[in-house]
Amino acid sequence: MTPHTLTPVAARRDPTSKSRVALVRPKKPLRWITTAAVAAVVVGLHAVAIQGTGFKPELLVDGWKGMAAFTADAFPPDLSWERTLKPGLEATLVTLWIGLLGTTFSVPFALLLAALAARNTSPHPSVYQAARAVLSFFRAVPDIVFALIFVTAVGLGPFAGVLALICHNTGVMGKLWAESMEEIDAGPQEALRTAGANRIQQVANATLPMVIPQFVGLLLYRFDVNVRSSLVLGLVGAGGIGLLINQSIKSFQFDSMLTHILIVLVLIVVVDQFSAWIRRRLAA
Amino acid sequence: MPLSVQGLSKAFNGRTVLQGVDFSVSPGELVAFLGANGSGKSTTLRCVMGITAPDAGTISIAGTALDRLQGRELQQARQRMAMIFQKIHLVPRRTALDNVCAGALARIPTVRSLTPLLFPAEVQQEALDCLDRVGLADRAFDRVGRLSGGQQQRVAVARALCQRADVVLADEPVSALDPHAAEQVMALLRELAHSERIAVAAVLHQPDLALRYADRSIGLLHGSMSFDLPSTEVTAEHLNALYAPDRNLAA
Repeated sequence: MTPHTLTPVAARRDPTSKSRVALVRPKKPLRWITTAAVAAVVVGLHAVAIQGTGFKPELLVDGWKGMAAFTADAFPPDLSWERTLKPGLEATLVTLWIGLLGTTFSVPFALLLAALAARNTSPHPSVYQAARAVLSFFRAVPDIVFALIFVTAVGLGPFAGVLALICHNTGVMGKLWAESMEEIDAGPQEALRTAGANRIQQVANATLPMVIPQFVGLLLYRFDVNVRSSLVLGLVGAGGIGLLINQSIKSFQFDSMLTHILIVLVLIVVVDQFSAWIRRRLAA
Repeated sequence: MPLSVQGLSKAFNGRTVLQGVDFSVSPGELVAFLGANGSGKSTTLRCVMGITAPDAGTISIAGTALDRLQGRELQQARQRMAMIFQKIHLVPRRTALDNVCAGALARIPTVRSLTPLLFPAEVQQEALDCLDRVGLADRAFDRVGRLSGGQQQRVAVARALCQRADVVLADEPVSALDPHAAEQVMALLRELAHSERIAVAAVLHQPDLALRYADRSIGLLHGSMSFDLPSTEVTAEHLNALYAPDRNLAA
């Protein structure tokens, strides 16, 4: 060892010196019993779930031929412009528009409900409870159910899909926004309260400007999710690329279906990258 | 007298925190509150601020006793007090100017305070003048988050000025700042007290800062007043009496 290298602490210690404190971990005799009990419960739940879902891997092994035939039919993807690509791209735009409007048009409702449903901005505990209940309702009803309801009012088409997304997204985004408002530092709001600002002024000049980065991040995340939801909404008649995928499956045009799925893949990646880029810029 | 407190007492769960605290702060005077942790100096300030309700005692602002007021009148009396916090409590994403304007929110109609773009021009001009008073007019359009801790605390002082307060209460205003910034903020508080005739009461953890900048120092010990003297008359024995009990406990 050269004189210049640092000596590790352990090497510097005299190994014969006795420690003044003995290392004895406190024993917890019941710990392994608890661990075993938790493990048994988890395994038991999985056994019941496998029964309940008819989870049988052997079926997959036996039926691989059907899957192979289906996949073989889909190859090569149908790339004809007039028959598949052009309608596919047009429908993809519709899907994107449904996701966009469903997100942005829910902003005013989500904002209002979030301000009422956050403990630090809500005017009264009863208002807080009521706003929480409204948000829970919109969140609990799946967007696909909203779509089926709106189809009966405005007919099949993208408009029903937009309405459905507005409803469901209001519930989810309102909850997420309310939680991010509850998490921020209460100091600036308190400071404005002591300066004589009323509640609306406190929220507009302290709480909201503090949470804007989180709000925009959550908004972009919801846009991402809503574009994907609007695909599924297409399957129940809300238009867009989901509708085309459904039609091509029903008419056994699996090569068109594959083309549409590839277009969707591109759309999802583009939306995902776009929102990641904005969020990076916000964080900077 | 802008701020006077008589017979202030407070107990938490039967444990006496404050017992008969009397003091007053004159216009143009910087008064420092000193004491060990748990001596009651923060509770005193919180009672004056209205964050904690005292068990007994009278707090008067500009000759009006707060305990007889309710609702809107109480609110208006309290607006004559501005607060400065250890953690500064500005909005980091907004500009210094917009943060200072927020001190005037009580004078701005609600619809015009929804966004800084709607703040009345005269309020913005007044806020800029306040920033000029603390020496930060050139940073008016910088986001507060980009300023140093000392600059941020000076913006908070400007916000208190923009509130047109007669009384400024500062709760450990320099505890989070480096020594140089702490000196700057203390010098600023003293200068504003003297030139603007504001009554400034500051809870401080640094006796040396208090003795150098405060006109008067009040020592609290176990919830009672230990001394209330011009800072020049406070001796080492006075300070030892304040902080010694802690040392005895630790020993």
